Amino acid sequence: MATTIAAPPSHRLSIGKQIVLLIPGLLLLAVVGYAGKFIEQSINHYTKANHIVFPNIEYVLWAIVIGLVIANTIGVPRIFEAGVATYEFWLKAGIVLLGSRFLLGDVLHLGRISLLLAGIAITLSFAFMHLLGHSFDLKPKLTSLLAIGSSICGVSAIIAAKPAIDADDEDASYAIAAILALGAISLFTFPLIGHSLHLSDKAYGLWAGLAVDNTAEATAAGALYSDAAGKVAVLAKTTRNALIGFVVLAYAIYWASRGEAQVVGNKAAFLWKKFPKFVLGFLFVSLLATLGYFTKPQLTSLANLSRWAFLLTFAGVGLRTSLRDLGKQGWKPFAVGAIGEIFIALVTLGLVYGADRYLHL
Amino acid sequence: MPETNANSKRGLSLDIYAVGLSLVLALLVHFNLLPAITW
Repeated sequence: MATTIAAPPSHRLSIGKQIVLLIPGLLLLAVVGYAGKFIEQSINHYTKANHIVFPNIEYVLWAIVIGLVIANTIGVPRIFEAGVATYEFWLKAGIVLLGSRFLLGDVLHLGRISLLLAGIAITLSFAFMHLLGHSFDLKPKLTSLLAIGSSICGVSAIIAAKPAIDADDEDASYAIAAILALGAISLFTFPLIGHSLHLSDKAYGLWAGLAVDNTAEATAAGALYSDAAGKVAVLAKTTRNALIGFVVLAYAIYWASRGEAQVVGNKAAFLWKKFPKFVLGFLFVSLLATLGYFTKPQLTSLANLSRWAFLLTFAGVGLRTSLRDLGKQGWKPFAVGAIGEIFIALVTLGLVYGADRYLHL
Repeated sequence: MPETNANSKRGLSLDIYAVGLSLVLALLVHFNLLPAITW
């Protein structure tokens, strides 16, 4: 997941002007997202009225596809760019609001399982990615970035790690491009595999949350399966995100010990700086919901607000994916990323099967 | 990729803005200052 929202064109602009610059892109996000919702509803009405059996295709897919078509045909005009780049902001706001749909006990139960499985998957995938990077003769720091991106949280983990291990811009761009391309592919393959294996909503959501890289893509892959699976995918992915700081710290210490990165002084401050703060927001809202701070209709309103925020996010995922840029990268980083992703998907699928059987999801 | 050029400090503060906005919305919903949100 990309943590950052594109910086406004100039820091000299006043806050009011910066907000005005966001409006066209925000409107585009809303139009594309709503078009996806409209298409889903129209198809459902038509098939129901005509007694046609047709699988429900979620608005998520339509919004992403419409965004992809716009971005890769006519392109997104410059005037929309700043607003479109806010999709990560809506993703985080949506996740925090989604906390209202979890009782803290569920968060702790599923979060504990996610943490355990994420820990195992991360350890195995790091070892495997480094082996692969070595076999494909990739630069060690590029391999590190790919390993961090595919094991933890895609783009934001790469951005967090880049300065910490003094990696090149070019390496970071390659790693990000590979992770984004693989995230886009996961969006379409994961739901198909989940359905063919008849995974339960919880098992599928856990799998998507543990295996799909970017938070936006993991959320979308979960929501494409079912609403309940989307919820669990967000929780599992949020747990994984919480580990960013620890993994980046471990890499920073490793590269510093080899004299190829700056020594980390205050480790607690480093961890706090890299910790994704929206995880705390999610937990806080979940705590409020658990304590009965909201009535049932209020909880429904909060859940719907979260869905509207995600609608903007999914539109942004499509609008920000440039197939041309993804094709520009060398084949080696992509191959290492792809093989690594398949390995992680298989490992996490095995872990989820095991957890479903022995830990009662 | 545009994300690589983004300022990490700014990204961090926007993380907090997202939490802030969500909490404000949660408060507005709690005090019934927003109409019921439908989907």
